[in-house]
Amino acid sequence: MTSVAMIEQTSGKGAARAAARRRKRGSVGSANRRPGWVTYAILAVVLLISAYPIYYSFLLGSSDAGSIARNPIPSFIPAEHFFDNVSRVLNSDIQFWKALSNSLIVAVVTSVSVVFFSTLAGYSFSKLRFRGRRQLLVFVIATMAVPTQLGIVPLFIVMSQLGWTGKLVAVIVPSMVTAFGVFWMTQYLESALPYELIEAARVDGCSMISTFWHIALPAARPAAAMLALFTFVGSWTQFFWPFIVLGSSNPTLPVAVQLLQASYFKDYSLILAGVTLSTIPLILVFALAGRHLVSGIMQGAVKG
Amino acid sequence: MRKTTSKAWALTAGVASIALLASACGSSDESGDDASGSSDEKITLTVATFNEFGYEDLIKEYTELNPNITVEQKKAATSNEARDNMNTRLAAGSGLSDIEAIEVDWLPELMQFPDKFVDLTDDSIADRWLDWKVAQATTEDGTLIGYGTDIGPEGVCYRSDLFAAAGLPTDRAEVATLLGGDDATWEKYFEVGKQFKAAGTPTAWFDSAGATYQGMINQVENAYEDSDGTIIAADNAEVSDLYSQVLTASTTDGLSAGLKQWEDPWVASFQNNGFATMLCPGWMLGVIEGNAEGVTGWDIADVFPGGGGNWGGSFLTVPAQGEHPEEAMALANWLTAPEQQIKAFVSKGTFPSQVDALESQDLLSVTNAFYNDAPTGEILANRANAVSVTPFKGPNYFAINDAMQQALTRVDVDKTDDPDSSWAKFLTDVKALG
Amino acid sequence: MAVISPPELDPELDRAPRRIAMRQRLGRWDVKLSPYLYVSPFFIVFAIVGLFPLAYTAYVSLHKWHLIGGKGAFVGFENYAYVLAQPNFWIGLRNTFSIFLLSSVPQVIIALVLAVVLNNNIRAKTFWRMGVLLPYVVAPVAVALIFSKMFADSPTGLINTLLGTVGIDAIRWHAGVLSSHVAIATMVDFRWTGYNTLILLAAMQAVPSDLYEAAVLDGANRFRQFISITVPMLRPTIIFVVITSTIGGLQIFDEARMFDQTGQGGADRQWMTVTMYIYELGWGAQKSFGRAAAVAWILFLIILLIGLMNFWFTQRIASSGTTAGKKKKR
Repeated sequence: MTSVAMIEQTSGKGAARAAARRRKRGSVGSANRRPGWVTYAILAVVLLISAYPIYYSFLLGSSDAGSIARNPIPSFIPAEHFFDNVSRVLNSDIQFWKALSNSLIVAVVTSVSVVFFSTLAGYSFSKLRFRGRRQLLVFVIATMAVPTQLGIVPLFIVMSQLGWTGKLVAVIVPSMVTAFGVFWMTQYLESALPYELIEAARVDGCSMISTFWHIALPAARPAAAMLALFTFVGSWTQFFWPFIVLGSSNPTLPVAVQLLQASYFKDYSLILAGVTLSTIPLILVFALAGRHLVSGIMQGAVKG
Repeated sequence: MRKTTSKAWALTAGVASIALLASACGSSDESGDDASGSSDEKITLTVATFNEFGYEDLIKEYTELNPNITVEQKKAATSNEARDNMNTRLAAGSGLSDIEAIEVDWLPELMQFPDKFVDLTDDSIADRWLDWKVAQATTEDGTLIGYGTDIGPEGVCYRSDLFAAAGLPTDRAEVATLLGGDDATWEKYFEVGKQFKAAGTPTAWFDSAGATYQGMINQVENAYEDSDGTIIAADNAEVSDLYSQVLTASTTDGLSAGLKQWEDPWVASFQNNGFATMLCPGWMLGVIEGNAEGVTGWDIADVFPGGGGNWGGSFLTVPAQGEHPEEAMALANWLTAPEQQIKAFVSKGTFPSQVDALESQDLLSVTNAFYNDAPTGEILANRANAVSVTPFKGPNYFAINDAMQQALTRVDVDKTDDPDSSWAKFLTDVKALG
Repeated sequence: MAVISPPELDPELDRAPRRIAMRQRLGRWDVKLSPYLYVSPFFIVFAIVGLFPLAYTAYVSLHKWHLIGGKGAFVGFENYAYVLAQPNFWIGLRNTFSIFLLSSVPQVIIALVLAVVLNNNIRAKTFWRMGVLLPYVVAPVAVALIFSKMFADSPTGLINTLLGTVGIDAIRWHAGVLSSHVAIATMVDFRWTGYNTLILLAAMQAVPSDLYEAAVLDGANRFRQFISITVPMLRPTIIFVVITSTIGGLQIFDEARMFDQTGQGGADRQWMTVTMYIYELGWGAQKSFGRAAAVAWILFLIILLIGLMNFWFTQRIASSGTTAGKKKKR
């Protein structure tokens, strides 16, 4: 099988063919015809299951406490109380707007920083040779195995020593670069970035960092978009650590929205209106990031 | 050209961010310097609360009275979250608020460390609270850890429509007499339940074995531990008697709906006649009202089996690590004074623990339309005054009670065990605490 | 061929055209130091937020240590001996592995299939790709609410109603061991399958399309293409997915904790996982930070061990795919 031989070549040094191949990368299915209705039917079912909880949050958020109590499984048609509930959320004392801007700051800063540092480290681990590389990578992966529950107390000690408790920096710094991101970028670049591209850049006299900048970074784009998306969402929905270290006076969105539950009887119409409200920015990010996830992959590298 | 600039930029970015990290670490000590204020200076006090304490307006009032003080409230949604937060900060040795609200459930674990808190003993306010409320927060050597805020005196909530269908009286005074009035006992409560079932209704008598047991065990002075802290749970006949009494009533006599409080089936059962009675502390009234929206017939009787009973309630503490202990103590004192607590009750319904507040007309005149216009203020005040026993809760109380609740749930709700095998597991759990 | 040892690179790097000496010396330093500089941000952050907690926890685990009361006497490995003798520790371990297997095996398989489907030349790509990731953005409070209604024990629960229509008796999801594990595994998969799908999809997109074109010319069908091209090319990513879901799966906490309101893993510990046990020991009624730390370290070592086994295993599977292909070629 020729295809297998070609696989070997991609990870080998067939520099001559690389350039030609590069242009053809991108949508793998380009050789395939459009799939039939079965594919769309499967996807539709998956989408239905995926989207239901969000729609469900909206349904309850547009309802009122009484009808939630009476009909635990709501009808598919939203009730009319959504905007009432939203204004109740915004007028409550949970500091919604401050929480929104805090969440935005944290999510944007961590996403940018995770993507940059993880790509940098991933490039180094996957494509550069240095002493102790294998051991260091195993170490990075091993750090993911540390159970997080126990880390809370020592981490809080560190943060209060630094005088960071109650400040956003206490949430940002611990997640500025993650083992997950480094590992992901290492594995991705391992298969997505051919050596011959790096060689070519080095032969052209590029320094290490500009090789990274012009070759590795563009090659990493789809994975970076994904990592950014994951980090953004992960940061957006993170609850326990911000709750502990920030508290309700300088909250992120989940910490603030959680406060809507502060009574013995929980009014789920109010809570889920808050949840829905805090999910909207994520849907916007989805729309933005989505474009990058489907765009051609190696084009940037070719131009560079 | 382009290459070098972007290279330089990238390098600077990389180095700068590392430097940023390093310098940020270096700046650590500075934040400690702006501390320590003398009494005339403007100071900020933080108050950590959870659920609804009804302090928003009170805090405004206090800062108007004391212009040099700014008060910041830090809220947590639930008692559990507040507890996680407080434990983390206690363990880390810093970061607590000047005043920390705590719930009676996690009081014992803090009572072991009185040196972490300011002793709030003050003769001028010694008689402010109900005796048993003060006793809950007083250590053996007389240190007062917290000022009482609210309490949860328990009455019996019932469905008058279901009572009528079963041929029982429906008027709340008659129901109180039916259950034994001032001499109400658990035997009597279960007896009436059997009467109710005998009328052929498909509805259960009470919601949960665990919740009912909670009412019973709170009337035992030394349930799980001797007053010196020795664990006696395994051999205490009183405990095993209550255990079999409540389970016999629940399963053999079929009085329990087999529901676990707060879980979904329990919440749903309010809408489909799941049970006819439940023990209800003051704060439960709103929960029933919310869950049973649209259901008519709920009422509350001024009676409680086995004497008075209290479930829940909170305190304000002043952690020793705070910078302004005196000011914090003054604020906690003010917040828990009867006048303020009545205002909190009026705004959020937190039932006061102060003797004077319980006699206030503002409180006694409160009625509740959902409960057929029952005078809930007066009933709960009577219920609070009926509490006579202060159960001893040592360091292991809540661990053992947790294990007990699980033992009851295994039989009553999960039905994975019979009373004997579940008791054996309870004994293992108690042993593991050693 | 280990994932983390790519083909030698040095000869090429050293073959770079000669420049003036100064520049070259700088270049050498560049080559030597850059790799370390690039990986250093991770290690700096890790030193602050990871290494200290890890060492601190190890220290705590060797002492009698009350969460609030603080450090007590040095007790050596007594805490370890204590927890290993507790039935609840082993129950927690059983539950963890059971939930982990019930969730991650279907999850990886479904993710792989979905990724292949999404990698087709479908219309409205972005829409579908983002669609599978939607569960990941749902707030935990909504997930908990929905699943508590779906997996309600009463015959009127959503799933029990569905089962009822096909004549199956209502299942007591919160009472049984296996039934609770299935319910929790469903919650886990709901949230994480789309996530892994996109990770695999991103890697699939990096596979050069001419490989497939060549395979089509060779007459290979879709399945053969998948086995001989997609899987070997995805090897590093599959290893990534398997290892991260193993590590995540063995630390499962949120979903199991949210499965009921009490968050203790059931009255009979039906679904109490090891991380929940850590939490209970340290933060629950006992407040034994020392014992909790001991369990955390035991779990850490178990995960490391399983992670390494996984690593070795997936590498063998993935590379045996390639060798099989090689043999065919001859």
